[in-house]
Amino acid sequence: MRFLFINHIQNARQSLRSNRMRSNLTMLGVMIGVASITTILSLSGGASKIVSNQVDALGGNIAVVRPGSASDTAFQNLAQLPTPQLFAASTLTIKDVNAIKKVNYVSGVAPMMILSGAVKAETSTSVNTSIIATTPTLADVSGLKIQNGQFLDPDLSPYIAVIGPQLSVNVFGTEESIGKTLTIKGQAFTVIGVLKRQNTPINYNGVDFDESIIINQDAGQALNQGSLQIQQINVKTDSVNNLAGAIVDINKAILKNHLGEADFTILSGEQIAQPTNRLFAAIAGTTTAVAAISLLVGGIGIMNIMLVSVAERTREIGIRKALGASNRDIVAQFLIESVALSIGGGVGGYIIGYLIAFAISSFLPFFPIFTWEIGGIAIGVSLVIGTLFGLYPAIRAARKDPIDALRQYD
Amino acid sequence: MKAMANNKTEPVIVLSDLRKRFGIGDAEHYAIDGIDLTIRKGEFIAIMGPSGCGKTTLLNILGLLDSKIEGEYELETRPVASLSFRRQARIRSQQIGFIFQSFNLVTRLNVIENVALPLVYKGMTRLNREKQASAILHTFHLGEREYYMPYQLSGGQTQRVAIARALVNNPSIILADEPTGNLDSASSHIIMEELSDLHKRGNTIIMVTHNPRLTTYASRVITMLDGKIDTDTGSPKRKNDTTAKKPLGKVSKKRRKTKTKQEVA
Ligand SMILES: Nc1ncnc2c1ncn2[C@@H]1O[C@H](COP(=O)(O)OP(=O)(O)OP(=O)(O)O)[C@@H](O)[C@H]1O
Ligand SMILES: [Mg+2]
Repeated sequence: MRFLFINHIQNARQSLRSNRMRSNLTMLGVMIGVASITTILSLSGGASKIVSNQVDALGGNIAVVRPGSASDTAFQNLAQLPTPQLFAASTLTIKDVNAIKKVNYVSGVAPMMILSGAVKAETSTSVNTSIIATTPTLADVSGLKIQNGQFLDPDLSPYIAVIGPQLSVNVFGTEESIGKTLTIKGQAFTVIGVLKRQNTPINYNGVDFDESIIINQDAGQALNQGSLQIQQINVKTDSVNNLAGAIVDINKAILKNHLGEADFTILSGEQIAQPTNRLFAAIAGTTTAVAAISLLVGGIGIMNIMLVSVAERTREIGIRKALGASNRDIVAQFLIESVALSIGGGVGGYIIGYLIAFAISSFLPFFPIFTWEIGGIAIGVSLVIGTLFGLYPAIRAARKDPIDALRQYD
Repeated sequence: MKAMANNKTEPVIVLSDLRKRFGIGDAEHYAIDGIDLTIRKGEFIAIMGPSGCGKTTLLNILGLLDSKIEGEYELETRPVASLSFRRQARIRSQQIGFIFQSFNLVTRLNVIENVALPLVYKGMTRLNREKQASAILHTFHLGEREYYMPYQLSGGQTQRVAIARALVNNPSIILADEPTGNLDSASSHIIMEELSDLHKRGNTIIMVTHNPRLTTYASRVITMLDGKIDTDTGSPKRKNDTTAKKPLGKVSKKRRKTKTKQEVA
């Protein structure tokens, strides 16, 4: 029976070749769908990879606490637009920060409150700038290096700021900006330090430090009508080996503070590495929609062409049955043909998907990744589409009465 | 020799009160209207009769293409009604060779692929299939036409290809619906010699023909009329009662002529 299967494949190839144009057009839908999936997966893989590289570079002993319960599937994360952190009240409090500090093996805790707003210098303004209100430990926990001046210091005046080099260039025209003054919401801040350039617009903090301004937590609270909204708490442990244990204890500590309500999430390792970049999220959202729609349309296209093909070959089906083909043989013949169509589309889509991914990545700070999983998903998706939409036409073909089929004039 | 075939060998096909109805209500019509028939292994049967009397319908039933029948059909002692579709397909693949009245080649396959088609369902490799198909095409003098497409063949060549296809898997039962309909006498002769040869090797052949001369090759001649058996040289009781027919029955005068030819044979 193995030879029969081979014959079905040869037969499908022959039949698809004899209608080359039609076959290619039919493959288009699946091709676009699989191309979208490949693009999105290879790019998100690339994005995750650079973030996880950063985490590893920091020693891998980082955990991140965020408000809100975990969004569980990776797919949700991909499809999701950036969470409107700035509008929702955070569930994390300073009490939680202090509780985490008391957990064994924790060597550094940095709460981050991220605002967004206009930052004014004398002559120019940078709108929509990320304003990070935090504590001095952030420098250690997130591995921030200073190029000029110094990082936050509680002993100095509360209205001091450390700025990213790009922000410095944007508003002052130079990276040398120590002692200059910036105004946020009418409050003046003195620049006491400029960060070293990182070139990591994608990272687990969700902000590009090169273009941000870092201020004291109390100053940030004052800018936010006196309310403290902690969007993220970065935690560092003394070694990688103690991270897992510390996370368990942190979880217990915060749960206790929150009266048993799990309205926060602790991420570590790979989980931190989920893409947080806005542009990326927008691409991912659109691509997922394109993929779903084109796979559906592609599947329907395959079904349509297979129904036409079955109708055209009614007489052939009658002959084959008379010569000994069983219903199963006929189902297999047409099913293999539809699967061949969709796999053809899938392979084409996989290649095109990578071409698009590389084209897009020239605007992004990372490259698409190659993994066997992406190839497997491309083939798997096309296999499912081909089978799903090919089954009905194939069964219809097999159900044809041989006598009626033979009688049909073609 | 004919008597031997009739009495010594076991029955392959046994029909009792077989009926086949087409249409419903007012359009209801029995194309096969009560046939009792026993065909033994190794018989060469020629079926004759006027157009529309049910010959093709009968062959389709015998070839397991039509299972919506009334009455009994036993193939090698197994009632066909009890066989699964899969089993029936298996029997068609391994035991039955079909030559259709209209040649029915698959138009998108070339000659050799058409001839090799029955072997596909026996699970043979492509190489073996084509070897076997090529061999039989040579016996039918179609060696040079192997890679022609069906539309590039003459009517007679098409028919020879169809016959080659029916014989390629060495079926023990051959059902031929006017196999020589489009052929000149020389080509007819090749085909009939081939069938005759298969007959001598012990295969059962059931052939529909309008040409009384070809009945000389047969061991038994059956004439049909209006879905019933009219005469049968192999049956001890002579012709059936043909009175009291339905008004739709077509009247055939050729019947007498056929009978005389048959007696000559
Ligand atoms: N699918 C069908 N639906 C309705 N009537 C049918 C069908 N098939 C056959 N018939 C009728 O059954 C009768 C017998 O047809 P059949 O094809 O068996 O004739 P035949 O003896 O082979 O004739 P010919 O010598 O012309 O080939 C005819 O009257 C035909 O109209
Ligand atoms: Mg006929």
